[in-house]
Amino acid sequence: MTVEVQPKTKLPQLSSDKQLTFIKLAVLSMAAILSFGTRLFSVLRFESVIHEFDPYFNYRTTRYLTEEGFYNFHNWFDDRAWYPLGRIIGGTIYPGLMVTSATLYNIMQFLNITIDIRNVCVFLAPFFSSLTTIVTYLLTKELKVTSGPKTNPNPQKAGKALVHLVFECPWAVWIAYHQDEGAGLVAAAMIAIVPGYISRSVAGSYDNEGIAIFCMLLTYYFWIKAVNTGTILWATMTALAYFYMVSSWGGYVFLINLIPLHVLALMLLGRFSARVYVAYSTLYCVGTILSMQISFVGFQPVQSSEHMLALGTFGLCQLYAFTQYLREHLSPANFELLFKALLTTLLATLGTALVALTLTGKISPWTGRFYSLLDPSYAKNHIPIIASVSEHQPTSWSSFYFDLQVLVFLFPAGLYFCFSKLTDANIFIILYGVLSIYFAGVMVRLMLVLAPVMCIVSGVAASSLLSLHVKDIEPKVEKHEKKKKHENNLVFRSEVGALFVCVLGCLLISYVFHCTWVTSEAYSSPSIVLSARAHDGARIIFDDFREAYTWLKMNTPEDSKVMSWWDYGYQITAMANRTVIVDNNTWNNTHISRVGQAMASTEDKAYEIMRELDVDYVLVIFGGLVGYSSDDINKFLWMVRIGGSTDRGAHIREADYYTPSGEFRVDADGSQTLLNCLMYKMSYYKFGLVYTEGGRPPGFDRVRGAEIGNKDFNLDVLEEAYTTEHWLVRIYKVKPLPNRGV
Amino acid sequence: MLPAMAKLRISFVFLLYILIKCESANVDSISSDIRLKNVDRLVDISSQLVKITSKITLENTGASPVKNFLIAIEESAKNNVAFVGAKDSNNKDLKLVETTVKGYEYVRFWRVELKDAINSGATPLVTVETVFTKALLPYPTAITQQEDQLVKYIGNLYTYSPYYVTSMKTSVVLNTKSVETFTKVKPFSQQDGMIQYGPYPNLKPFSEKELLIHYKNNAPFLTVTRVERLIEVSHWGNIAVEEVIEIEHTGAKLKGPFSRYDYQQDHHSGPASVRSYKTLLPASASDVYYRDTNGNISTSNMKVKKDSVELDLRPRYPLFGGWRTHYTLGYNVPSYEYLYQSGSDYLLKMRIVDHIFDDMQVDEVVTKIILPEGSTSVKVNLPYPVTRLPDSLHFTYLDTKGRPVISFSKKNIVENHIQDFQLRYTFPRLLMLQEPLLVVGFLFALFLCVIVYVRLDFSIHKSEHPHKE
Repeated sequence: MTVEVQPKTKLPQLSSDKQLTFIKLAVLSMAAILSFGTRLFSVLRFESVIHEFDPYFNYRTTRYLTEEGFYNFHNWFDDRAWYPLGRIIGGTIYPGLMVTSATLYNIMQFLNITIDIRNVCVFLAPFFSSLTTIVTYLLTKELKVTSGPKTNPNPQKAGKALVHLVFECPWAVWIAYHQDEGAGLVAAAMIAIVPGYISRSVAGSYDNEGIAIFCMLLTYYFWIKAVNTGTILWATMTALAYFYMVSSWGGYVFLINLIPLHVLALMLLGRFSARVYVAYSTLYCVGTILSMQISFVGFQPVQSSEHMLALGTFGLCQLYAFTQYLREHLSPANFELLFKALLTTLLATLGTALVALTLTGKISPWTGRFYSLLDPSYAKNHIPIIASVSEHQPTSWSSFYFDLQVLVFLFPAGLYFCFSKLTDANIFIILYGVLSIYFAGVMVRLMLVLAPVMCIVSGVAASSLLSLHVKDIEPKVEKHEKKKKHENNLVFRSEVGALFVCVLGCLLISYVFHCTWVTSEAYSSPSIVLSARAHDGARIIFDDFREAYTWLKMNTPEDSKVMSWWDYGYQITAMANRTVIVDNNTWNNTHISRVGQAMASTEDKAYEIMRELDVDYVLVIFGGLVGYSSDDINKFLWMVRIGGSTDRGAHIREADYYTPSGEFRVDADGSQTLLNCLMYKMSYYKFGLVYTEGGRPPGFDRVRGAEIGNKDFNLDVLEEAYTTEHWLVRIYKVKPLPNRGV
Repeated sequence: MLPAMAKLRISFVFLLYILIKCESANVDSISSDIRLKNVDRLVDISSQLVKITSKITLENTGASPVKNFLIAIEESAKNNVAFVGAKDSNNKDLKLVETTVKGYEYVRFWRVELKDAINSGATPLVTVETVFTKALLPYPTAITQQEDQLVKYIGNLYTYSPYYVTSMKTSVVLNTKSVETFTKVKPFSQQDGMIQYGPYPNLKPFSEKELLIHYKNNAPFLTVTRVERLIEVSHWGNIAVEEVIEIEHTGAKLKGPFSRYDYQQDHHSGPASVRSYKTLLPASASDVYYRDTNGNISTSNMKVKKDSVELDLRPRYPLFGGWRTHYTLGYNVPSYEYLYQSGSDYLLKMRIVDHIFDDMQVDEVVTKIILPEGSTSVKVNLPYPVTRLPDSLHFTYLDTKGRPVISFSKKNIVENHIQDFQLRYTFPRLLMLQEPLLVVGFLFALFLCVIVYVRLDFSIHKSEHPHKE
């Protein structure tokens, strides 16, 4: 609102061009600042701290990069994880994120701005989302969905309309006169606060996605620029942006399939032109060579089936161009013959080559994660380790509304506007929108890819709708000047227009409130520090995770190995600096399965596995005392499933852990296998003595809502090493083998 | 230019160090004229420290007046002594210098300079205070969670002195009745957490007899293994203090499991463990933070009192024997309380080390003082000898040539070492304008660039549509 008040008073002094630039800059910078600000809830409520699991790994590697330099980072063999296998960090990560923050850090250090590397990491995602806001504006502006202004906007009119509309929609006037840029600004304002994107980019959520969305949109922007202009410059810029994207997120595969798809669609629609040819050929050549420089990607762009569409389209482009060339120089009959002959030989060679390469293993088969993209039930049936991750679950309908709110309704309208004025760029956005809707439906995590296109298309919709109706309102204002400009055959035309603008304004305002609420309630918890309200309203902080990790760091031998479920691996290596058996980089299924088997076995069986893995400490998360529901007992069935999924764990059957009636219970009716397995014993050791709730027997588990079934037991091969204040983390020490004859 | 300066400075520091060394490497002789007429020793071993306060009545049996006398520390304890101080009968501090005596190289000596010479036959009273760290040994060395901590004190039953002692008494404060064993040399008596020995008459110089007390001591046995104290002076009215502290529980080690259930159920569980301790900060301290490498430590309370700010610090976990923790504690104080100015000369007066907890023992302190950029001719005045570390430069916001950093370290520190240092330096007042001007200049240049860029036309050919105006 404040933006509009200022130019209103200055209207007479500034020329209309400058006014527009001013409003544009003001709206854009406000959106950018807002997108930074709205992501700071967790910092203000808690502290500047890294969130969750994966960010801790990224933080640790970034620290390593700043301390040791790039070459050591590149050659880093990490012996702190996946004991005894270790992990080659440099070759198994996308280094874009770490290099970005290390570069920023070094630049600031050079300028004597002594900001801690942790703070750089914490604020990187909000900073990049500000940049995303600006890129979204540029990208939407490039779409040219709505026709541009035909006349020079009249400042006087703008002033009056401002007075009229200032309470309804801040962007309305702007939109009325400068519709492409208007759509861009609306989209920018929308993406600044869209929860689907915020969920992965709040301060402290230091993850690849935080910068990858920026890279993705930047690539799209350059791509559309390249398609629109057909210059090598923009195509090369696309390739560079694509390289940045590849270096930062595995989701680049989506991008390298979407762009060829766009080219294909253009071909099918008969819109293929020299511009597209130049753009795509340049992008593919430069982009592929650049992307192969990332050691984690390596030769995949020419080997794996996920990249074959891009390669195929590249070939097709050449053929298409070549055919066009031939067509110009040959007679139709000759051309026909040559074309048919060429086509059959080509298809035959390609087909045999593909089969041969797949059979010899040169082209890798599609990985499970991609099968699960195409068939949502694939993972659940075949790969428990993928299915066990909550962010790989299919998205529910409610979460679409939760993450996108009004965008869900504006999106179809926006698609309509895109279709109504089909351009090369619009086809791209339509493809992007439709594909990402599908993928977001398959995997919750890909909501992130959907959110930007939702904002772009909805921005187009909102701005087109507004401009339609704002025009209707205006004749009322300028009635005396031009009475017969439009043929007003509809009664209450201006009232309907005003009403519509009002309704849309209300929707947009409710969007703002919804987004702020979702951000503050759902996405701003660091999950490393928990908070709850006491009966008197005071805030209780559960800082048990850091308590346990600090304890491990300070009070265990430097070389001790900690076994825990893989969720906590990254946090243990980053915060406790101890060697872990498995971590969140779930690359070795049998290793994780071994840990699952240990957790699911009885104490003596587990002891053998722990001796085999050289484990010194075991860490479990237990929420039964305070009611923290994502603890290890609730994850336990996944341990059983993953544990039983390999040959050595064939004796572990999921059915044994259920009651005869098929329930998973921890009370006295629970299955004996469950009540005597290592995980159960570690979680509930001495818990049978504790009174947790008034009026309940001792040993009442507040998460499962049941009195535990096996209370009075001792641990033979483990001893309690540490339990945190609220019992959230329990650490056990593996006892050495007993002396002989004792 | 600069390295040469630095080299010069280092060599100067080295020279200074040698000078200090030479001064301390005095050689004294034992005067046979002095006798200790009466010594009343109070050995306080109720905390983790051994604090011995001896009230000594001196006697000059010779003819000529005596200006000084010697304090000796026996060989077995000479590495544990952290502090030696002496006061006269008016409770005024006396000057002490460490010295040596030929033939007694294994003994550590301090020479006490008396204010008034002792005339022949006079018997002035002097109070000597010595503090020993790590002189109490946990025995057994490892205990379970429920057990009390037992420690052994091995000391000298007699006053260790180069002079003839006419008569002496020793009282040992234990603050506990549960004593396992103790040396029984008649006459002695035991009552209410106190054991009294003596009086023992006519002791020869350097007489020793083992005093062993094995008793219960659940006082916190916390050793601060290292403190790094950073004082950053700003002439804009603020002094920021930050202490990076590493602490270890050096009492009896924890044997066997730690049971959270027992620890929560019964508040007498883990008697030797430390749940929290109190740190006293200056009364004007504000913006206190308490964190470690993993972020804020959310378990602490702050009470603002009349003459101090009391922090009740709870480490993330209770400290049992052998457990360690580390944290950073920082706060701001207004500079007008510590920084004095006259013209362009400044005097900073602050503590070398500050209170961490009562009866603290610190293995090593490193104090670093960051002065404003442009400070020159720095002179430090210290109350006791420390190791001066080479000066360095510190770069932070809006710095161009770096802020001078003065640092020094000292080992084996106790509460008695909480004393002020004085640091003089010159700082031209005009330099205060440097930082604002830097910002102004930068913004000015930025705007100028934008203006130039907007006004100039860089395009190779003119666009077809002339600019609308």
